[in-house]
Amino acid sequence: MTGPIHTLVSAARAGGPASVRAAARLMSLVSDDPGRLVELLQAVGGPGSPEALEGRPRLLLGVTGPPGSGKSTLTDAIVREVRRRRPDTRVGVVAVDPSSPFTGGAVLGDRVRMMRHATDPLVFVRSLASRGHLGGLTPGVKGVVRVMGLIGCDLVVLETVGVGQNEIEVAETADLVTIVLAPGQGDSVQLLKAGLLEIGNLFVVNKADRPDAARLHGQLLAMLERQDRLPGEIRLAAPDGCHGAAPAAGPRAEVRRRIFLANALENRGVPEIVDALDGLLDVHGADWQARRVHGWADEVRCAVLNEARRRLSTRLSTDATLVRYVEEALEGARTLTEVVDTLLGSAAPDLAHPSAVSNAASRGTATPSRRPRTKRSAGGTRAASKTPDERPQSPRSE
Amino acid sequence: MEIADSTLRILIGKPGLDGHDRGAKYVAHILRDAGFEVIYTGIRRTPEQIVESAIQEDVAAIGLSLLSGAHIELFGRVLGLLREREASDIVVFGGGIIPPEDVPRLEQMGVRAVFTPGTPARAIVQTIQGLLTPRPLVQ
Repeated sequence: MTGPIHTLVSAARAGGPASVRAAARLMSLVSDDPGRLVELLQAVGGPGSPEALEGRPRLLLGVTGPPGSGKSTLTDAIVREVRRRRPDTRVGVVAVDPSSPFTGGAVLGDRVRMMRHATDPLVFVRSLASRGHLGGLTPGVKGVVRVMGLIGCDLVVLETVGVGQNEIEVAETADLVTIVLAPGQGDSVQLLKAGLLEIGNLFVVNKADRPDAARLHGQLLAMLERQDRLPGEIRLAAPDGCHGAAPAAGPRAEVRRRIFLANALENRGVPEIVDALDGLLDVHGADWQARRVHGWADEVRCAVLNEARRRLSTRLSTDATLVRYVEEALEGARTLTEVVDTLLGSAAPDLAHPSAVSNAASRGTATPSRRPRTKRSAGGTRAASKTPDERPQSPRSE
Repeated sequence: MEIADSTLRILIGKPGLDGHDRGAKYVAHILRDAGFEVIYTGIRRTPEQIVESAIQEDVAAIGLSLLSGAHIELFGRVLGLLREREASDIVVFGGGIIPPEDVPRLEQMGVRAVFTPGTPARAIVQTIQGLLTPRPLVQ
């Protein structure tokens, strides 16, 4: 199988100046069409490939916080410190800024704070627009991080849009979350609130030269004393429809939370943060990599379910019987379970791709014994949790 | 949301030593409002920084703003670096205090459009839209 993604992956792997362009183009492909992430994973090799065993990046560090708190400046300082300590280490930065809800346009300004690294061949900075996504990141972000790993980035810093209280998506994506706060952004009641502050592993009180920084530091300390560790796996009220099958990655509950005072602009407090990152990486790095590799399988699952849903949706709105059943269900003459079973029973055998037909047939979906079996073949969806006793209760007249 | 074409990205940068970024920020803003994703890189950048950033960001165009008078030298350097990096498909346009007699020379060098003070926003947007074609999302 070859295609533009495979060609670009080979070019990006090859190294040298031309590989930077190929990597950048790959990032565009997965940002413009996040649905191609699986194609990218396949081209890179996925779990088991040399890259996956190398496990790059070793650390995917989330940096989040309110607008203007100093996320980009701290990112710049962390990159500088890591490059100073480990001159052979390649570092990537993915920085997200908001898209206009009106025009789709954006001004991506995070790079302004990082221009000192622009000509460092071992630093790759990519700015992304949120493109209508509201969780603090953007749909293409996982693919961009994967490309950073492909070109050998050991550390990738993932900087979110400026966030408020509720944009916690970065906790699902990153290995570790750093929350950057600056003094003067609200009183201690703000620190009582659920949401953003719950997902942090490292807290950075930036602009620590300001007079009220010590007070914010004290309030954060009090907050963490009330709750020493993160509560556990993250729970999102409305998962995007495909993370039901496997548990989503969550905040790193095993990490004891810490607070740092810093002045990122003057590099004060930054070496201590990098010390902490190095220490955590020694202890947890292997687990985090394994979790991320596990997450790629989730992406494949997700893509499969999305495509299955698309095909089922087409069937549901075009098949004459099903169209009638939907109307009857609306009138109360038919249960939802009946409609679901009819859809799955009619759709599953013949909607498989030609290449997959033999596969489906071997599992028995092509046999006339309809509903129970096709129901089970949708394993992982909610339908699978229904008890077998429910099935006979849906008599059908066809 | 279906996107039929790739979103066009443009880097706006100020090479050289003048710090007058009002024009660059204005152009960044109107391009944003025209639906482009604009990577703003700030003042006092070297041509090397601008070209490397443009490649990493996979932009379709670079807009250079210059008010210091060194436009022939610095625009030329950006164009030369793009050739070295085999990235001459990236469109270069510019603006700022550029004497009218220099415009043909810049165009001859490969600068595709030059916007001097007083150019209406709409004209800038239309010209850039005309210069750039979105890449279709290949399957």
